[in-house]
Amino acid sequence: MLLEVKNLDAGYGYLQILRSVSLNIDKGEYVCIIGPNGAGKSTTMKSIIGLIAPMGGTVVFNGEDITGMSASQITTKGISFVSEEMNLFVNMSVQENLYMGAYTIKDKKIQKNRLDFVFSLFPRLAERKAQLAGTMSGGERKMLAIGRGMMSDPKLLLVDEPSFGLAPQLVANVFESLDVLKSQGVTILLVEQNVTKTLAVTDRGYILENGKIGLKGKSRDLADNPHVRKVFLGV
Amino acid sequence: MSNNYGSKFLSWIKSAAGLSIVVTIVVAVVASIASGPYLLVNTVVTGGMLALVATGLTLMLGVLNIPMFAHGEFFMIGSLAAFYVFTPISNYTNENPDSIIVVFGPLIAMAASTIIGAISGIIAEKLVFGPLRRRSTDDWVMNSFLLTVGLSVLLINLHQLVFGADFKGIVGYWSGMPISIYDVFISRDRVMAFMIAAVIVVLFWFFMTYTRTGMAIRAVSQDITGAQIVGIDIEKIVLLTISLACALSAVAGGSLLFMYPSYPTVGLEPLYMAWFVVILSGLGNVLGAVAGAFIVALLKVITVEYIGAGWDFVIPSALIMFILIFKPSGIFGSDVRGALDK
Repeated sequence: MLLEVKNLDAGYGYLQILRSVSLNIDKGEYVCIIGPNGAGKSTTMKSIIGLIAPMGGTVVFNGEDITGMSASQITTKGISFVSEEMNLFVNMSVQENLYMGAYTIKDKKIQKNRLDFVFSLFPRLAERKAQLAGTMSGGERKMLAIGRGMMSDPKLLLVDEPSFGLAPQLVANVFESLDVLKSQGVTILLVEQNVTKTLAVTDRGYILENGKIGLKGKSRDLADNPHVRKVFLGV
Repeated sequence: MSNNYGSKFLSWIKSAAGLSIVVTIVVAVVASIASGPYLLVNTVVTGGMLALVATGLTLMLGVLNIPMFAHGEFFMIGSLAAFYVFTPISNYTNENPDSIIVVFGPLIAMAASTIIGAISGIIAEKLVFGPLRRRSTDDWVMNSFLLTVGLSVLLINLHQLVFGADFKGIVGYWSGMPISIYDVFISRDRVMAFMIAAVIVVLFWFFMTYTRTGMAIRAVSQDITGAQIVGIDIEKIVLLTISLACALSAVAGGSLLFMYPSYPTVGLEPLYMAWFVVILSGLGNVLGAVAGAFIVALLKVITVEYIGAGWDFVIPSALIMFILIFKPSGIFGSDVRGALDK
């Protein structure tokens, strides 16, 4: 098991959002968390990566307990986080942003290989490598954020709402690029609002409601589940 | 190809940054021809040193989000350290005028002020800013601003209490005939002060632009969450930035000891001037701060020359207000919104 989250409690200040959330991901899986707004999807992601200190429970990654470590330590262990806000370095060029993604890799040669890999994944970024990240369009920024997440050669990629604020055509592009990553053997945990599309491409899913895991199972089965169909798909 | 560069150059000249640099150079040259080249020399020396203080200020503001009003006191610490290190050296060289220390002694004093500046910056972070960072949940900018003002008052009075309020100055670092360039005589100290500032600014620019650590500092200033999720250790960067910023200010204090003797409030003038520079050139922009430093230095030198010594704060600040009305992000403020514009 690559990632095992057990009875995770988390929140902001005195406000507890997650209540005893448990989930696990095997190597090579493509797993999604779906749920309504405010259910705690992003909070789950942020407490796995260490941007929020969990109030209780454990997070075990690759056999090592990473609960309560700082985000920079957890990144070094091999988890990459592509946040909803992307958190790009707006005054740096595309290439500099990507190199910062490989900050934990000290070997220049490996850095270069990773850069070539990301450029082959997103040829658009190669065309614009000298452009400042802040001057790019929304779709390109999303590609850059995912590319930067891939630069550190992560064992697990956490992607938070990649389709947020994108035009439908670009959403399709983002999903395609995640498919390519999956076929390369990258383990992905995806948080999404776009339920139909997400359940169509992922292997397994967790439904998060009011800070608790409501349902879990194969994505295909979830898509047929009457509760899911009623609440999320409006059928 | 050359046409492309030509049009790029033209559009740069037309931009606020290019225009202000061109105007500065023209005014400096015209004023020097009209009143004598010493104007240019003064501008270059003051500007170089101001660039050091202002870059430190920009770093504190851009990376740590601290509006630093105690930065002048690190200038004071630098000048104090240089004084106490250089005095025994100069006593020794007076007795042994042929010693090699005559040449390198002043550099030792400046190195000492740099190191002591860096150490006092680390102490300030550990004792003052670090504890605040752990406890402050919101209003960080206001809280840290108040803290730096308090730190400034504390350091000024500590200086007065321990070392006394008198002027602790030196006659000069490098004795000997002034260097003459085209019949213009410039004292050796001034030439060296400018060269030191130039070397440090260039090294610093290379460090920020090309090294992994320099890029990490810029990354933290642009997006702190982004920096965390690519694996940058924020605490290390914070400590490094503070020590770097304070060392820059202290080395300016150390190398200007021949112009500004050390006394408790010696840092206030460079502090205000550096704030002019930072506001004028756009918050958190390191290269802009260097150019801005020369603009403010020229304004100050010309004001003293043509209007009077008492006006050297009035004219630059009035002009800065005027410029900010038309370009609120500062002359070199970028079109891309930085972390500080949020």
